[in-house]
Amino acid sequence: MGLRDVLLRIGAGHPAVLLACLPGATETRLAVEAGLRRRGWPVAASPAAASALVVVGAAGAADEEWVEGLWRQIPSPKARSAVAGAYDVEAALDTLVRPAAAPVPGDGGEHSADHDGPGGHADQGGHRDHDGHDDHDGHGGDDGHGGHGGHDDHDDHDGHGGHDGRDGHDDHGGHGDHGEHHGHGGVVAGLPMAGRADDRDGLRLDRLHLPLGPGLADWPAGLVLDVALQGDVVQHAGVRPLPPPAPGGLPYWDEPWLRAARGAHVPRGTAARRRCAAHLDSAARLLAVSGWPDPAARARRLRDAVLGGAPAREWSAELGRLVRRVRRSRVLRGLTAGLGALPAAGARRFGVTGPALAADGDAYDRLLVWLDDAVRCAAEADDDRPLRPYDRDGPRGRLGGPRAPSDALLDALPELLRGAEFASARVIVASLDPDLDEVGAVVRG
Amino acid sequence: MMLAMAAWEPVPVLLGVVIGGLAALHGLGAWLRAGQRPLESGPFSGGLPPEEHAFSRFHVRWYPVTMIFLAFDMEMLFMYPWVRVVRERGTSAVVEMFLFLGILLAAVAYARREGALRWA
Amino acid sequence: MADTAPLWAVVLLPFALVAAAAVVAGLDAVLTAAAERGRGGRPLRAAPAPLRTGLRLLGGQPRRTTAGDPWLGRIGIALVPVAAVLAGAVLPWGFRAVTDPVVGVVWFNAMEALAWAAVWLAGWGPNSALSLIGGYRFLAQGLAYELPHMFAITTAALGAESLRVGEVVAAQRGLWFAVWMPAAFAVFLLSALAMAFWGPFDHPLGRDAAGGAAAEHAGVDRLVLLAGRWLLLVVTAGFSVPLFLGGGHGPWLPAWAWTLLKTAAVLGLLVAGRRLLPTLRMERYLEFAWTVLVPLTLLQALVVAVVVLNR
Repeated sequence: MGLRDVLLRIGAGHPAVLLACLPGATETRLAVEAGLRRRGWPVAASPAAASALVVVGAAGAADEEWVEGLWRQIPSPKARSAVAGAYDVEAALDTLVRPAAAPVPGDGGEHSADHDGPGGHADQGGHRDHDGHDDHDGHGGDDGHGGHGGHDDHDDHDGHGGHDGRDGHDDHGGHGDHGEHHGHGGVVAGLPMAGRADDRDGLRLDRLHLPLGPGLADWPAGLVLDVALQGDVVQHAGVRPLPPPAPGGLPYWDEPWLRAARGAHVPRGTAARRRCAAHLDSAARLLAVSGWPDPAARARRLRDAVLGGAPAREWSAELGRLVRRVRRSRVLRGLTAGLGALPAAGARRFGVTGPALAADGDAYDRLLVWLDDAVRCAAEADDDRPLRPYDRDGPRGRLGGPRAPSDALLDALPELLRGAEFASARVIVASLDPDLDEVGAVVRG
Repeated sequence: MMLAMAAWEPVPVLLGVVIGGLAALHGLGAWLRAGQRPLESGPFSGGLPPEEHAFSRFHVRWYPVTMIFLAFDMEMLFMYPWVRVVRERGTSAVVEMFLFLGILLAAVAYARREGALRWA
Repeated sequence: MADTAPLWAVVLLPFALVAAAAVVAGLDAVLTAAAERGRGGRPLRAAPAPLRTGLRLLGGQPRRTTAGDPWLGRIGIALVPVAAVLAGAVLPWGFRAVTDPVVGVVWFNAMEALAWAAVWLAGWGPNSALSLIGGYRFLAQGLAYELPHMFAITTAALGAESLRVGEVVAAQRGLWFAVWMPAAFAVFLLSALAMAFWGPFDHPLGRDAAGGAAAEHAGVDRLVLLAGRWLLLVVTAGFSVPLFLGGGHGPWLPAWAWTLLKTAAVLGLLVAGRRLLPTLRMERYLEFAWTVLVPLTLLQALVVAVVVLNR
């Protein structure tokens, strides 16, 4: 008994934390990431790797479902806590390692802990609702006589109807193949098996429909991509429409410019720091997704130093070192060059402004633009003169237009993702790094 | 012959130790979590459920490479005994081996020209 | 030269390898903490992090995914440490290995090749799209690293004209193979990383795919998979010592100390060097492997063959 508790406590003392980041909570996310880093707690990339869940931001009704889904997927013993604001982080993280019995003193319900130790039972995650997919239940019968129409359901679902005839023909033609396929087909545990569709070379191959996000690591908060995968190739990707944003503050990364536009006094240094940190945050994601955690971690540390208000001389040398190191890596260039090419002409067509337009190229070019811009901003970090109200160049593009810069980035995304391998798709998303806080929020100033 | 067999005797012992160790680890884990059953969970792709099961015929775009690989891999098997007889057989052994490898490399060059080594 | 070790050494080997793996993982944790928190963040205190993580996973609940194939996945996971330790059987400690069969080099290679099955099965088992992607990534990786790796191993065996590890070590009494087979040595180190799916070759377990083949495994299963990966790294990197770095040969110190020093140096180099490279994706790396590394290792083998002929 005693020994077991001691061992469990040692293990629980350093939880691996899965972050459920909600849109509109960027500042809180940065605070949580810094808090985890100080404690040396790893950020988990999946529920299986996690022993704790931290919900970052105020969860609306629409978020409830996937956050609960994440919580159910984490094996016990597990703890959870919610952070609504940046001021709240330390207390919320403390609750993750507090013994389960201790009640949490509620200070306005900002954070709560919920422990599920050995003996406790999490809900079983096997059952899901399938609104709009009830017709799949008919699959068993369909499969028996040729699966006509069965696959069309999927096509309709992702807005790709219109080749039903061909679908049916191919299925009838390939009878031997067909039987083999549906030998393990039909509905198992409430889900159908993969259907087939033409790939880009005209081969008929199994195709999976998968929602990516919103809970992936190094992923824009709130983004959900509905992708159709053949193997690990993205055949089709669509951005799932966002729920209307909760009325609240200004998008964190655009805040200085929007406030200046409203007539507030904002020092140029504040705006430069915000832009520098935004680029470092995006670059850190891109580096992390490219599997280079070391400079990614350094970029995040720098980002927090920049935002923390330390004088530029304390961190600009390290920023220079980081930028030189990343620029010098020919391997990184070889791995990211050519991914998500968005020439300036194409970018303008989508209304893209800012770094993605200036880069006039692929994921690697966009990374370089971020890094160079970050270095430029570092030089202005301690400038106390007021920001001009007509300066509307936010970190992701021009503010004040009819649409937010990230709206255009999201529009450009599906076309860039088509035909990309899964890993490349992650790099492409990270290289645009749309900020969903901006989308739909009041950015006109 | 006896000597040759004796060299392999530690291997099953080692295998036994590893499997025993793994079983002990699982036992220790079960004790620590007080016999709690495994968690039944849906697959993870970011928090939302998928529309189909993931088990499928996974499309790989590198299958031409597997063919070249197999050819080389078979060739490799001959190289193991070859290393022991190189000096004995003299120059002819080296010439034959590298001539054969050269032919295989020509296949690699062809595959490269056809774009089989790059798929994204 | 090398002969078979007593029974206690057989039993001891897995534990020694686990201890070495824990030390190497600790070093990696320290370097990671240094990147995350800077020198002021006392990165040395992160050294026991892998042990704490291990304990957390050990006491954690295992996880099964809907309609998955848990036993297939579990077999794959168990294969990782099994492959590592069985390959370690021919790893000499000083001049003595647990066993030193005539075909020791082939045995090592055969055991390592189990990783192909292991990672793919671990990725297939959970019936999850992301872990499936991770499993298949390893197969593509195998196509890229395995041949240069085998040619590098063969080159060392050719230099000794023997497939017995003890004789390969003995042949390096005067000059280490790393000195006159530098290309084979470098390729061996690269492929050791690839085989242990660690470092710049960690794409099969990539964070971008939420952990890839490991994405759905929790509890003991996850512990065995991740610890097995460190074991595999220790064994494959450690095997470069008898193959290329003269095994226990060296002045002044006893043979076991040289083995320890050289192994530590190789592992330290790999763990520190990992920080220099992003993850190598096979759709870009495979072409390099086949058009540069394969001809390079073959050229190296040819040079060695000519030297052997003229002995």
